[in-house]
Amino acid sequence: MPGRKYTIIIRIEISTLINRDGKINRRKMDRLAMVLTNLHNSGKNVLIVSSGAIVLGSDKLKLQQLPENPVDMQAVAAVGQAELIRYYQQFFDDYNQIVAQVLLTSDIISYPQRVENTRNTFKTLLSMNIIPIINENDAVSTADIEIDDNYPLALIVATIARADFIVIKMELNGKYMIVPKNYNKGIIVDGEIELQEKIDALCTVTIPDNQKEKPEFPGSIGEIVF
Amino acid sequence: MMTREEFKYKKRIVVKVGTSSLSYPNGRMNFHSIEKLAYVLSALRRRGIKIILVTSGAIGVGAGRLGLTEKPQDLSKKQALAAVGQAELMKIYQKFFEEYNQIVAQVLLTKDVVNIPSRNLHAKRTLNKLIDMEIIPIINENDTIATYEIEFGDNDSLSAIVASLVGADLLVMLSDIDGLYSADPRTENTGEIIHSVKEITPELEQLATGSGSSFSTGGMITKISAAKICLQEGIDCIITSGSDPAVIFDILEGKEIGTHFEARKEIIINHG
Repeated sequence: MPGRKYTIIIRIEISTLINRDGKINRRKMDRLAMVLTNLHNSGKNVLIVSSGAIVLGSDKLKLQQLPENPVDMQAVAAVGQAELIRYYQQFFDDYNQIVAQVLLTSDIISYPQRVENTRNTFKTLLSMNIIPIINENDAVSTADIEIDDNYPLALIVATIARADFIVIKMELNGKYMIVPKNYNKGIIVDGEIELQEKIDALCTVTIPDNQKEKPEFPGSIGEIVF
Repeated sequence: MMTREEFKYKKRIVVKVGTSSLSYPNGRMNFHSIEKLAYVLSALRRRGIKIILVTSGAIGVGAGRLGLTEKPQDLSKKQALAAVGQAELMKIYQKFFEEYNQIVAQVLLTKDVVNIPSRNLHAKRTLNKLIDMEIIPIINENDTIATYEIEFGDNDSLSAIVASLVGADLLVMLSDIDGLYSADPRTENTGEIIHSVKEITPELEQLATGSGSSFSTGGMITKISAAKICLQEGIDCIITSGSDPAVIFDILEGKEIGTHFEARKEIIINHG
């Protein structure tokens, strides 16, 4: 009996993918697209939670510095989100992988009908072999708009998609940290090859198809022990 | 005509395009039409006119990207296609607007902007900020998460709501038919285009629905409801064919094109 597929949320901070000059680091982006496509190809569900709209919007608008007040940030994010998704499309295209954009507002979690609906959209996308790329809908969101900290959104997506792992691309050294559900320790791996191998090793137990419990993950990155 | 003369002074315009402006009847993208739209809107923006584009088409583009020949019927599949197609659609708009050195932004809305005051404020602020920055916001419904209680249902209503959100003075709805007719031009020879509408009467609404399904393929019913919202808000509204987007230049010169839903100019304040 093939059980349920393992589901992985990968949380990307754009700062891990851009150079000092604010431009995309093409090699890092390519490696990321490769390993995520391959995780998907190896039979896992992959969902990306990516920040970067403000940073890329600022670059597009040739701003000297990042915007600071909420209105400017929201406007710049509306420009940058389109850029962000375009980069993902370009790099995933090389591996013949189709991606989709899903913009959520964090308050979704208090509307059960919307949660159910979004869960169905994720399911359908994944069943069509499409990788969803999720971000906060900054233009209308009333949540505090912040540059880069999308871990709270990753947690929300993990709950909606009933994830088994959150993978964090680490800012400090570009390594990956795997956080399994119901386990507050992070497992750090060096690069793309190790990420695939470690995930494969962790995904050997078959999960029953009907398992629907809410996964527990550390509430903030600071709470993860490694 | 006096009222059409005033179109020369329009400063804040919402343009709504549908699938018929973006793709050929066979479902493939019409890049010629999209390029022309990008050219016209960029040129107007450069004249100092604030421009907001409301677009449909995400599901169709998504189906094309995935090589599907038929549009799916079930909701979650439609939403999945919209998530793929919206990303593709924005890429295409970015490409063509870049040709004319025009930066665009993506804003996806749900009906929450009408129902939740804080969200209304945020959307309004973001849109006003974008047009002040000389960026053209490209708006669509956030199909991927919209459930029945938060969906606009059609982009005609969405465009009217956006027009009121940004305090536009004109909404141009580009359609596959060049205006409202007194009878279905496809089945009756006697039908004539109605150039000016001052009030949306039950008879007029009947005109949009009465002649059977072929007449309403252009979505005339939803366009009339959108026009109704505009009239309530004091915003002029034009319905015309989008087969050549340069028609917007002619509209702004005051030429008698399409159907004009005339907003009342004098604001009567009744202090009771």
